[in-house]
Amino acid sequence: MTTTAPATTICPRSDFDVYTDSALLDPWPGYRELRDAGPLVHLDRYGMFAATRYDTVSHVLRTPEVFPSGEGVMMNDEMNQVLRGNTLCSDGEAHDASRRVIARPLTPKALRPLHDEIRAEARGLVDRLTARGSFDAAGDLAHHLPVTIVSNLVGLPEEGRERMLVWASEMFNCFGPMNERTQRSLSVLGEMMEYATTQAVPGKLKPGSWAEAVHDAAARGEVDPGKCPVMMIDYMGPSLDTTIFAISSAVWLFAENPDQWDLVRENPSLVPSAINEVLRMEAPIQDFSRSVAVDHEIDGVLLPRGSRVIAFYGAGNRDERHYPDPDRFDVTRNPTDHLGFGAGPHACVGMNLARLEMRALFEALAEKVTRFEVQHSERALHNILRGFTRLDVTVH
Amino acid sequence: MPKITYRVGGDSTTVDAAVGTSLMQLALQNAVSGIVAECGGNAMCATCHVYVEDGPVDRLADVGAAEDEMLDCTMSPREPNSRLSCQIPMTDEIDGLVVRVADEQH
Ligand code: FES
Repeated sequence: MTTTAPATTICPRSDFDVYTDSALLDPWPGYRELRDAGPLVHLDRYGMFAATRYDTVSHVLRTPEVFPSGEGVMMNDEMNQVLRGNTLCSDGEAHDASRRVIARPLTPKALRPLHDEIRAEARGLVDRLTARGSFDAAGDLAHHLPVTIVSNLVGLPEEGRERMLVWASEMFNCFGPMNERTQRSLSVLGEMMEYATTQAVPGKLKPGSWAEAVHDAAARGEVDPGKCPVMMIDYMGPSLDTTIFAISSAVWLFAENPDQWDLVRENPSLVPSAINEVLRMEAPIQDFSRSVAVDHEIDGVLLPRGSRVIAFYGAGNRDERHYPDPDRFDVTRNPTDHLGFGAGPHACVGMNLARLEMRALFEALAEKVTRFEVQHSERALHNILRGFTRLDVTVH
Repeated sequence: MPKITYRVGGDSTTVDAAVGTSLMQLALQNAVSGIVAECGGNAMCATCHVYVEDGPVDRLADVGAAEDEMLDCTMSPREPNSRLSCQIPMTDEIDGLVVRVADEQH
């Protein structure tokens, strides 16, 4: 990454709207246009810059001094205010402290005791679904592990927990720019924050749960107790939908690319590599933003202080400057450096758990299923998230 | 150009490093076996574990908080010279460093 190029060129501009229905459903041509236009492109409609090349996205995410998260990582001021101070929207020491608390149950070691339970649960589910011959890979398959196992580990009170799926999805919608989709979802946020403040509190949380551990850590002085409600959001938001969408996208990709499913079936040790490839092709979170703290140059283009840059993970993941033939689904590619989990200090803290869930499911499926056939599909129409709300498949 | 040596089992490979990458990336670029790096260098997976054995060992930056936590999760036992290779940036200062790749990463 050149940050000292002598001549600063003017940033290319585009009036392309990344958040229309059609662009959200099929973002790839738009992403390509933006990547080809330059390392950064000013999105005139939103008054923000787009980072779409792999190197640029990675640089933005890995340079927190220039691109802090404390001013929010969303694309509208309302949301940037609401989540101020949660792990996602903080920097430096404060971020490290709360991330450490949130990450504690999510390290490889902490998750090891869960392996058997998750595998057994996945196997049972796959047995039941494959016996039926056809099922909804979004609702029936993808929901199961996050909803039964993960939400139980998070340990929020029963009442309201069933709303978690709705909250998570609506909350991520509000990460987008202030468009109609964001406006429609904003009302749900109040309900979510209210729950985080009045219900997700000591005494009501499941004993020994992750949510309770956050309050315990606050009581020990590891994090500011006033931050507990927004830290609840760290678990409530990303633990369900993102994994659910990743699982449904994986099934869809395997249905579309039966030769790749054959490779996985013949050699199940390819499952982890295939999962990385799924997350590269179809990042469940397509974009977050960063504010720009100081004037900064990327490959000769100046990014002014006080502006905001949107880092498009989904676009960086399909940059042919980094991945040869990026639109080809290749389960042997093993792109461990994909940006589907973000990168840098804010890289997804739940990635090990997400991988564990996906691995358990697809190892079980590889034993049972020779072919997925999509009968009917509905993609989520969402500002930030990518995946299916419905994916009816027949399996053979 | 700094040189780094990776010991894997009975073999050792010395590679030229471009400043700006990490010890983990350098290993992957040069097909050094034994480094899995599942999380892509985000100090989240502990599958890029190495033991620092020789060379300008005292020039390495200290183990960071995230790295420290993750080093408790390594499959091969953690030793006082354990590091996550993704958390060691390549600099001229560490020219001649010798690391042993941990036997078991998963
Ligand atoms: S690559 Fe995952 S911890 Fe180093």
